[in-house]
Amino acid sequence: MTGSTIDHLVAMTVFLGAILIFIGLFNQTIQTAILYQRNKYLATKCSDILDNILLNPGTTYNIDNKTVEWGRLDVIPAIFGLQDPEFKQYRLSPFSLMRLESSLGEPVYYPGTRQWYSNITMGFGNFLLVSSAKALNYSTVTKLLGVNNTYGFQLTILPIISITIEETRAGSPLTINVKVTGMGFPLAHANVSYCLIRVVKDQGEYPKYRTITGNSYTDETGSASLPPFDVTPQESYALIVYARAGGLVGVGYHQRVTEDKRYIIPFVESFEKGLVILTHSYDVHYFGPPESAVFYNATFLQLSEDFTIREVENYKGRIGKVNYGHSIKFEYDNITLPLEPGILVITYKSNNEYGVVLMPWGICSLAFPVVFGEDLMGKTWVATDIRQVLVGKIAYQAKLALWSLEGYQVIG
Amino acid sequence: MMRTIEVFLVIVIITGAFIIASFYAVLPVPRRVSPLNLRRLALTTLQVLDADYSLSEIVFKNPEDPDYESSWKQLQVALSALLPPNIVYNMSVYIVRKEGGEELYTPLRFISNAESLGIQSEAASYLVASSNVTFRVVPQKIGDVGGVGGTLYILNCSDARGWWITGYTAHTLAQDLYNLLSPYFQKTIMVQNTTQLAKILNGTSLQGETVQGAVIINTFGEAVPIPSGYYATQGYDPQAQSYAKYCHILGQKVRTYNFTWVSIVGYPLYYVSNINLFPNNHNTWGIYGMRHVGPPGLNAFLRGLDGKSYSYNDNWITSNVGDAQLSSEAIYHCNYYGIYPYPRQTATRALSASILTTYNLPESRVVYIFNKVYRNNNWWIPGAVFRHVAAGDNKVTGSFFALGLTRTPDIRLTALGLLCAFRPRLYRSVYTATDATRLVVLQLGQVGGV
Repeated sequence: MTGSTIDHLVAMTVFLGAILIFIGLFNQTIQTAILYQRNKYLATKCSDILDNILLNPGTTYNIDNKTVEWGRLDVIPAIFGLQDPEFKQYRLSPFSLMRLESSLGEPVYYPGTRQWYSNITMGFGNFLLVSSAKALNYSTVTKLLGVNNTYGFQLTILPIISITIEETRAGSPLTINVKVTGMGFPLAHANVSYCLIRVVKDQGEYPKYRTITGNSYTDETGSASLPPFDVTPQESYALIVYARAGGLVGVGYHQRVTEDKRYIIPFVESFEKGLVILTHSYDVHYFGPPESAVFYNATFLQLSEDFTIREVENYKGRIGKVNYGHSIKFEYDNITLPLEPGILVITYKSNNEYGVVLMPWGICSLAFPVVFGEDLMGKTWVATDIRQVLVGKIAYQAKLALWSLEGYQVIG
Repeated sequence: MMRTIEVFLVIVIITGAFIIASFYAVLPVPRRVSPLNLRRLALTTLQVLDADYSLSEIVFKNPEDPDYESSWKQLQVALSALLPPNIVYNMSVYIVRKEGGEELYTPLRFISNAESLGIQSEAASYLVASSNVTFRVVPQKIGDVGGVGGTLYILNCSDARGWWITGYTAHTLAQDLYNLLSPYFQKTIMVQNTTQLAKILNGTSLQGETVQGAVIINTFGEAVPIPSGYYATQGYDPQAQSYAKYCHILGQKVRTYNFTWVSIVGYPLYYVSNINLFPNNHNTWGIYGMRHVGPPGLNAFLRGLDGKSYSYNDNWITSNVGDAQLSSEAIYHCNYYGIYPYPRQTATRALSASILTTYNLPESRVVYIFNKVYRNNNWWIPGAVFRHVAAGDNKVTGSFFALGLTRTPDIRLTALGLLCAFRPRLYRSVYTATDATRLVVLQLGQVGGV
């Protein structure tokens, strides 16, 4: 009887212990499977959100019988989306993209308007500074997409074609080599159209410029040597290059200036009015004396159907002068741009030194990248998805990285 | 002891179950858990390649064409440049033929950058049409967007005479305008006499059409038909002995009914015409049935449009600026709508840009048909559609399209201007034709990583 009881007790204890261990083991497997299901759901959600952003123009307005997206106006949209309403499929609005607060550069403060500006600056002289009051921030967009407090994301829109421009000889004559590459391959036998804007040094008060345009082709390695230009090493210039092959179009740019302290910084003030203010660089970054005025000549260029670059009537040769504000009274000039994408080219002169700055009007005009959203660093289990898209005529790749904010762990 | 042995047996069984379950319940690799949507990537890749119809052009190229092989190489270069380095592809092009009611797919060409696409691949297919296929174009009707307007009135009044339409009659111009523009409007109505014009101005429809938001084209050049009765009596300014007041009423009506008033040539509203009303008056150039109004007509019209009270103002507000160039927007729409007037015209009645601020015609809403011209320290507008937006408002309340060109009028410019202003879309649809369609299938796989 006693032996039987002991047998029961031992058996029951061992059985209960074993059951507990097995529950733990099975539970771990089930937990991992559930987690993988959640991660799979995250990947599907990522794909859905990306399509939702790219295939939807967001709030549109009917202005003068034309459907206009929120990006062309100064409004906060009620619905978020980046598609160009003029087109179907994955073609994005160059203006809606401009209105996203960039995660790329540090915001810039301009005391003249007492405003912060979202900053995409691709090296000296290639500015895109958009009034933060007009830019959509990440928090607003997450609310519009209905993912606030549930998902975090980063949207990256990068040009597919990358164009590197190198001087092989600094001047007299200036020779330039252009290298065109895609995501994974050089772009061989691509047609290259270029426009060189040479700042003319003369006695005039306002800087003049000459444009030289032409065509060339890349070789098997994606390289093209442009014909020599009549530019001396002491002269400033800007070169804009478009490359296209098999339906793919990319754009690149390069500048050389003799004055990089006193120059013009353009700030986008209003999309609806096409208003851009031109300011003295010393009012934004003080470099110390001398603090001479900057004379400028601003012109708006557009890419035509045949991929030549041309000046736009009524928007060329706007001349003016801006003084340094001495932190007391800030002085800036206003110019108005048309509601079509193009490039604002500003040649400037200060103390007989010259230079040129470029600003894209519509993100695609100079193939500027867009990075919007939170930083990926430290985020666990990030689902990504990509699409090929067009912005204007330029091929871009849109990538969305999405993660859950509900605290899933990562196993495996 | 027996119980303990039984428990150990149970443990062995459950352990076995766990091992077997673990063996079959293999968790997928992270790439399968969170896959790249290769199907969408393939589709968007094909769409980008065909954005300017390059893909269509290559797949329909004649094999005897000298650059046939180089075109396919170019396509492969573009494809390789477009896709990330870890993506391998296989593109197949098929000729689509219809035989006995069934579709037959014959392989034409394959392009690939790998022998195998790995264990998992996705494909997207895309149909391209030959450029030789004929297209049918269906224009969008003005008024479909926003639901306002959609009626075109062409003044073809038999009881009025025109001026500066030399070589034409209002009737022939009206007929040509009808042919050019009626496909774009919900309803196009020829206004046959000044009585019908009076009805429209009173807001009464002639054939059940929508009056609000209509476009009224005055084909009488510098003259404007005037109805007898109310408009002739109320439109007469006895003090100035002028019918400028009629033009003021016209401006008010344009504002009330949100009309777009179109002046096709010369100085707008320079004369008023009604052969029954003015049988013994001529326009000082020997054309009877007409009364001279001069610059006060346009000034009064603009005051009426802006909601200002009538006043007689004989300031001349146009200038002879000589050559005028079509705006880039107009040139773009020339190609879109297939209307090609000569891009340089002579503008002897270009309107002063000062009217924009004086009469609340904001520049941001102006559609320039010709570029502005800077002359004598002033900007002049040879041809544009002006939209009136009252101060503090955002809504358009009446539009005015003036072409200040010299005679003889080119009504293609009138048509182009209206199309630039309303921008109706053209929907192009393809007729099916033999061997006119090819199927492109792009299959993508992912290499490297887990």
